[in-house]
Amino acid sequence: MSALAIVFNKEIREILRDRRTLIAIALAVLATPTVLFVIAQVSTRTATQTYTVGYSGEIPAGLDVLFNATGLRLERVEDPAAAAKTEVDIGIVFTSAGLDEYYDPTRQSAQIADIRVQTILAQYDAAKIAATLQQKGLDPSILNPLPVSVHPLSSPVKAAGNSFLSFFLPYILITMSLTGGLSAALDTSAGERERRTLESLLLTPAPRGQVLIGKLLAVSLLSLVAAVAAIGSMLIALSQISFGLSGGADARVSLTPLAAAVMVWLAVLLAASFSSLTIALGTLARNFRQGQAYATPLYFITIFPASIVLFIPDFNPSLAYYLIPILNAVLVLRDAITHNTVSWGPLVVTSASLLLTGGLCFYAALRLFTREALLVRS
Amino acid sequence: MTEVAVRVDRLEKTLGSNRVLRGISFEAHSGEIFGLLGPNGAGKTTTLRVICTLLAPDTGSVEVLGFDTRSAPQEVRRRVGVVTAEFGVYPRLTARENIAYFAQLSGVGRAREERTPGLDGELARKVDAVIERLDIGEFAKQRAETLSSGQKQKVAIARAIVHDPPVLMFDEPTSNLDVLASREIRQFMVESKGRGKCVIFSTHVLHDAERLCDRVTIIHQGRVVASGSTAEVRGGFQDLEDSFLSLVEAAK
Repeated sequence: MSALAIVFNKEIREILRDRRTLIAIALAVLATPTVLFVIAQVSTRTATQTYTVGYSGEIPAGLDVLFNATGLRLERVEDPAAAAKTEVDIGIVFTSAGLDEYYDPTRQSAQIADIRVQTILAQYDAAKIAATLQQKGLDPSILNPLPVSVHPLSSPVKAAGNSFLSFFLPYILITMSLTGGLSAALDTSAGERERRTLESLLLTPAPRGQVLIGKLLAVSLLSLVAAVAAIGSMLIALSQISFGLSGGADARVSLTPLAAAVMVWLAVLLAASFSSLTIALGTLARNFRQGQAYATPLYFITIFPASIVLFIPDFNPSLAYYLIPILNAVLVLRDAITHNTVSWGPLVVTSASLLLTGGLCFYAALRLFTREALLVRS
Repeated sequence: MTEVAVRVDRLEKTLGSNRVLRGISFEAHSGEIFGLLGPNGAGKTTTLRVICTLLAPDTGSVEVLGFDTRSAPQEVRRRVGVVTAEFGVYPRLTARENIAYFAQLSGVGRAREERTPGLDGELARKVDAVIERLDIGEFAKQRAETLSSGQKQKVAIARAIVHDPPVLMFDEPTSNLDVLASREIRQFMVESKGRGKCVIFSTHVLHDAERLCDRVTIIHQGRVVASGSTAEVRGGFQDLEDSFLSLVEAAK
């Protein structure tokens, strides 16, 4: 057995016996479905919840039926403006000239009730106008001189699901690729120095490059397993959860085989890159805690690129942007999920960029690992 | 005269801005306990680290059984075992796994293992032998995190000798141990000498050195201030400690 295999086996054995690491990964794997379940519950409840409208004055004929049918419960109150602050979700004063609406925009329930009221009133107005026109012998369609028929080429509900997935999946993938193996990476580098085992390890005739690759492979494997497990649990949860959207089976989010293949390939590259980077940082650190301090800024790396997809959904950069590590993985995944296509140019540039990043980090780790200062500082 | 196992010749080493070694020279032979003595900060640990290839010499040379530490570091590492006061062990591995890990990395049983994979064959025999020799059997299957300091030190010794190196170096090995464990370490050094090993014992505990060492070299501020048999270095003084204090005072 080569030194690489010996070190790899030993590191995996230690990882499997490290309860903290295993529990942290298990919690991360369980957390995603739990969060999604809560989101789905809230989303479903919001869609079906009845909101209260406090009113005074006389309700125009027929409008109360529309209110009830749209999940708005009418409740007579003395002062709708005052009641809209706390007692009811929205307040309306019906007058002979129309109505006055009172709502507090800082309350989410008031915002939703307002949208429903505006929708109902628009429908009510349209119906009233149409009836009046018909009474006067006019065709109501004159109010709509350019009728539009919309024919979506794919399911809008599915598109909404893919949009959600194109943000959430890269975020989970990158986060778990980093955090899944972080503890093990620091343990096998900074921890080795802190436990005073580093000197004994370097005293063996095993080539140091092989020792480091053995450690790197073990940490990468853990990161990969953590990332794939988290995404797997997320996809299983998404296949079982409906977000209160109409559309039946279409409302459930799923990943196409192409997007899944791209995801696994990127997970391998990200796991290797992050493992090299965190081992390099750990080798630079005197102890585990210092290693954690060095690694903290990396958490931001996981947030910013995914946020770009969230805030700029139509961000379509030039090929040069795919040279930026992490961001490139997010963009390739977004394209694979939302458009179900993979452009080979961006994928090749992304792969080369991540391989180069991982290679440079590994080179840095190897240089640090073989420096005399490593022992002198310890 | 026995074989020269370790030859240190005009060794110089600077760490940062600190010139730690300023031309150290000595020879240690197989079948003897060689004492490397000096106060804290004298350069004992740096000297040992250069001998075992963890540090490279700035000038001068070090040979272990004819292999130069610069040109053949891996050959040197195969022939050296080091025990320090810091008995770092992998806490989540058992005592036996700790020893087997270092045995494998040192190449123990590699040729046999190709025919009998795993811990069978030569590797298992070597690990079992060292476990028996150091009386580790009772706690061999316990995780290292549950062991006492003395037990951990035994594991540290076991991993240093499992590949049966002809040169053993002990750097302040008893400084973190109680009386009983310290005595076992001393007995082990004597036993190793009896097996023909070259034992280099670095310490500032002169009482131990006087009892154990055949020859000693005293270094102070990176220079050799005395070298020879223990009796020669003691000279006309009552014990080695008086001689040591006199030499160090004279070197100031």
